[in-house]
Amino acid sequence: MALVYELVWRVLHVLLQLQRAAVSWFQARAWKRTWLLWRRAAAAVLLPLALGFANQKKLGTAAGKRPIRRCRVLTDGKALEKLPLHVGLLVAEEEAQYTDIANVVVWCMALGISYVSVYDNEGVFRRNSSRLTEEIIKQQKELLGSESCKYSAEFLNNGTDAQEKVSWCQTVVKVWSPDDGKLGIVRAAQQLCKAVEQKESTSKDITVSVLDSLLRESKNIPDPELVLKFGPVESTLGFLPWHIRLTEFISLPSHKDVSYDDFLCALRRYSTCEQRLGK
Amino acid sequence: MSWIREGELSFLERLSANILKAGPMPRHVAFIMDGNRRYARKRHVERKEGHTQGFDKLAETLRWCLNLGIHEVTVYAFSIENFKRSKEEVDGLMELAKEKFLRLLEEQAKLEEHGVCIRVLGDLTLLPEDLQRLIAKSVVSTKTHNRCFLNVCFAYTSRYEITNAVREMAWGAEQGLIKSSDVSEALLSQCLYTNSSPNPDLLIRTSGEVRLSDFLLWQTSHSCIVFQSVLWPEYSFWNLCEAVLQYQLNYRSIQKARELHREAEAVQQLESDRSCVAELLHQGGNGKPVDARSRHAALLSYTASREERVRRFLGALQQKRDTFFEHLSSPTAVA
Repeated sequence: MALVYELVWRVLHVLLQLQRAAVSWFQARAWKRTWLLWRRAAAAVLLPLALGFANQKKLGTAAGKRPIRRCRVLTDGKALEKLPLHVGLLVAEEEAQYTDIANVVVWCMALGISYVSVYDNEGVFRRNSSRLTEEIIKQQKELLGSESCKYSAEFLNNGTDAQEKVSWCQTVVKVWSPDDGKLGIVRAAQQLCKAVEQKESTSKDITVSVLDSLLRESKNIPDPELVLKFGPVESTLGFLPWHIRLTEFISLPSHKDVSYDDFLCALRRYSTCEQRLGK
Repeated sequence: MSWIREGELSFLERLSANILKAGPMPRHVAFIMDGNRRYARKRHVERKEGHTQGFDKLAETLRWCLNLGIHEVTVYAFSIENFKRSKEEVDGLMELAKEKFLRLLEEQAKLEEHGVCIRVLGDLTLLPEDLQRLIAKSVVSTKTHNRCFLNVCFAYTSRYEITNAVREMAWGAEQGLIKSSDVSEALLSQCLYTNSSPNPDLLIRTSGEVRLSDFLLWQTSHSCIVFQSVLWPEYSFWNLCEAVLQYQLNYRSIQKARELHREAEAVQQLESDRSCVAELLHQGGNGKPVDARSRHAALLSYTASREERVRRFLGALQQKRDTFFEHLSSPTAVA
């Protein structure tokens, strides 16, 4: 009997995997198809311009993304009821794509989100944070064009004390790795225990707000209100346990070729979330 | 309504349970039982009725978990933040809790028969005294049961729990039981309220909210998290099956992430020991270079002495906690 159960279980899981693959495939197709339709319609209406237009667009599709205009992004940002101050991008899949993540970061910047955090549980982005930075600057130029100089971002290169800062007006981009999560709390705990050991304070002095301000370091970055999780793994994978107390988690199937529309859809979903804060 | 619900699964449920059990099963499941008030509003009944129905659903869910071979369940019953609710509602919830813990004490024989151990996680001192005593009595009376475990988070938030763990470690440093350099991820985990449980494999939140609301932030950092839109009083066996299926689909990737994390943790510990030894040798060796072999021996002996310190400290901490509960539950206790 046990053998039969196991067989059924295996079949069930194969089916589920297939279903999951099909869903993400269709999602990827869906926008490509509407995009094709749109392109055809545009070509038909703007027949005189068709040649040049199609050529230009081909470039866009080849790169696998839709050129977005800054004005569109701005109106999108205004249309959202509630915009998060701090967005976390959690990559929960293998093979990180720098360009795609850089795109999302740039969209966040264009929407006027003040803090963007990037995280993956293997620390890939942290190890290659300079590559990510380059990619962001490149994508920013490409997506926002001549307007890009108006935007500036500050890259907090954490870990060591040496902070590499690239100034970019309002947006602060920070790359996190698992070392900042539990280990960050442990480091803060060590610091507090040391103070107690040296009789500088007592154990009674340790409160939630003391620990919180220690973990916030000097940068005063607010907790992320929204984490966009890319990939099929349903877990936070060690993403800043202290900071995600009230964070809303919204999943997207993958960060590869993620479209602006998917991104906006997730932000719309966030703007409808209501927080009662215990009440 | 009782804490233990008798009754068997239907044929179809049993069949699905057996199929699910052919795959990897979570050992420990945590629930954020959200949606009682929305349920009450939807059904046009009083809030209190919603909470009561929520409790009944808990008893039912526990039975399903046992049927599925899940022997540990943690639930979020009352957050420290919930004290912000209207006085009327908070009082109502405290009354409900009193009623349920009294009921628990009446059902001791049944709990013993099923081997249910009940633990209450949180800062009991924030609660009314009579409730504190009832909780302590319940916890002490089921302490020795070891077939299944129900952890009720009451007057709990995760940040408070982590802070409390840091405070306990600082207490250890004050007492001279440990050094500040002994503080590690493993030690912090051991100082949390959840020290006697493995980390949850699966966390389920109902009612469609997609946040953790300060629940087990530390413990669920590598757990499968499933958000379901059903309201808690309407939760069904099939919802639970769906969540377990999700867990199974994520099993391999999460195991891999856990493994990676474990390795990193071991490396951290080794590095921390090494740097402590280096410092000791530097202080004791008058700056003379030390050969590799004696360095290794020093490392081994340092690690052993650290482990001994930590073991003693944890023993003292456990005793402190046990005394707190026993003192509260003793009939002569005057709080």
